[in-house]
Amino acid sequence: MLKVDRLGKKYSGRWIFRGLTFELGQGDRLVILGRNGSGKSTLLRTIAGLTDKTEGTVTLPDGDPRHMLGLCALEQSVYAQLTVEEHLELTADLRGCPARIEELLEKIDLAYARDVLASHLSTGMKARLKLAMAIQANPVALLLDEPGAGLDEAGRNLVARITAEQAERGCLVVATNDPIERRLANLELELAV
Amino acid sequence: MRSMSGLVTGFLFSAVTVFAISFASLNTKLSGTVVAGMLWVALLFSAASSLPRTFLAEEEMGTADLLRLVARPHAVFWGKALFNIFQCVVTSTLLSILYLGFTSAAVPIPWLFGLSLFAGCVSLAGAVTLCGAIAAQAANRAMLAAAIAVPLLLPLVAIGVGGMRTSLGDGALSSGGSASAIGLIGYAVATLATGPYIFAAVWKT
Repeated sequence: MLKVDRLGKKYSGRWIFRGLTFELGQGDRLVILGRNGSGKSTLLRTIAGLTDKTEGTVTLPDGDPRHMLGLCALEQSVYAQLTVEEHLELTADLRGCPARIEELLEKIDLAYARDVLASHLSTGMKARLKLAMAIQANPVALLLDEPGAGLDEAGRNLVARITAEQAERGCLVVATNDPIERRLANLELELAV
Repeated sequence: MRSMSGLVTGFLFSAVTVFAISFASLNTKLSGTVVAGMLWVALLFSAASSLPRTFLAEEEMGTADLLRLVARPHAVFWGKALFNIFQCVVTSTLLSILYLGFTSAAVPIPWLFGLSLFAGCVSLAGAVTLCGAIAAQAANRAMLAAAIAVPLLLPLVAIGVGGMRTSLGDGALSSGGSASAIGLIGYAVATLATGPYIFAAVWKT
């Protein structure tokens, strides 16, 4: 479902990572470990196509990549002047997939805040919204960067539920150093600095 | 649309320019060529100061990644370009009314004036949208935007001034006015036809 072949990223003359090769099938949950600055987030961004790769290939199943891949990252921002519901409508319209607003709001427990502007959301609520947008198109590959950051106990349980559902649908890649999130995975990859 | 900062910025800039020109030319009858040139300078700087913000703001707020993940490049370009065209037409119309009122300039060929203004706005908005998209991803955004904008916009200004001066009574319709109007329409069509493809090439990188 997700094939990474000899992937490398060079930045300012230094290789952040190089020669990364792995293939994930349905049910595979890979956790990427590594110290701060080891390139975990850069690897996820490179797989998602948000950062140019220096060498190697990333292969997803045939189809629209906007439906095949979902990314939820810590540094990702939301539109301050749109409400929670408008975010889900916008991303569905742009992707060309069903919005599933009621279902997603219930899943991320934000139904009570559907009309709240994103600028008024807490960090944890924004994290839940980003999770909802990442899984909206039922992607075969879900990439999560520090998914538990800013979330309370209930939010962390939500991440656990979403990762379990993703494993049934496709594969999952989680970049983290959190020992609890590490347990979400059945495969590990450690990046050296 | 909820943040009208671009519209307000563009209009305030234009209004200040109009007042400055009006005071400078008090009790002086300006020729059609001067009025057209001044108006285009105001339009150009108004557009250049506000329209590239649509992309720069996405990068600065960190929402560009979300767009890259969920939207086709063509959809992003058309969304931004149409918003910029709307903003440019509204600002330019208000600016022209103010400008013509303050300078008491006559418009003997109003249809050519309107056509020059509208086609000029579409061309300006399309070209500036592209400049903003390209420059937004660079480290030195302001310098790159200016460097790209100069060769793209100079021919447009030259054609636009030609059409508008004819509409204001300087020069004959047959000796350049019509050609300028056709040139402006051609520039607008070319910008909007090639824009999505150029944008698609730079958006993901």
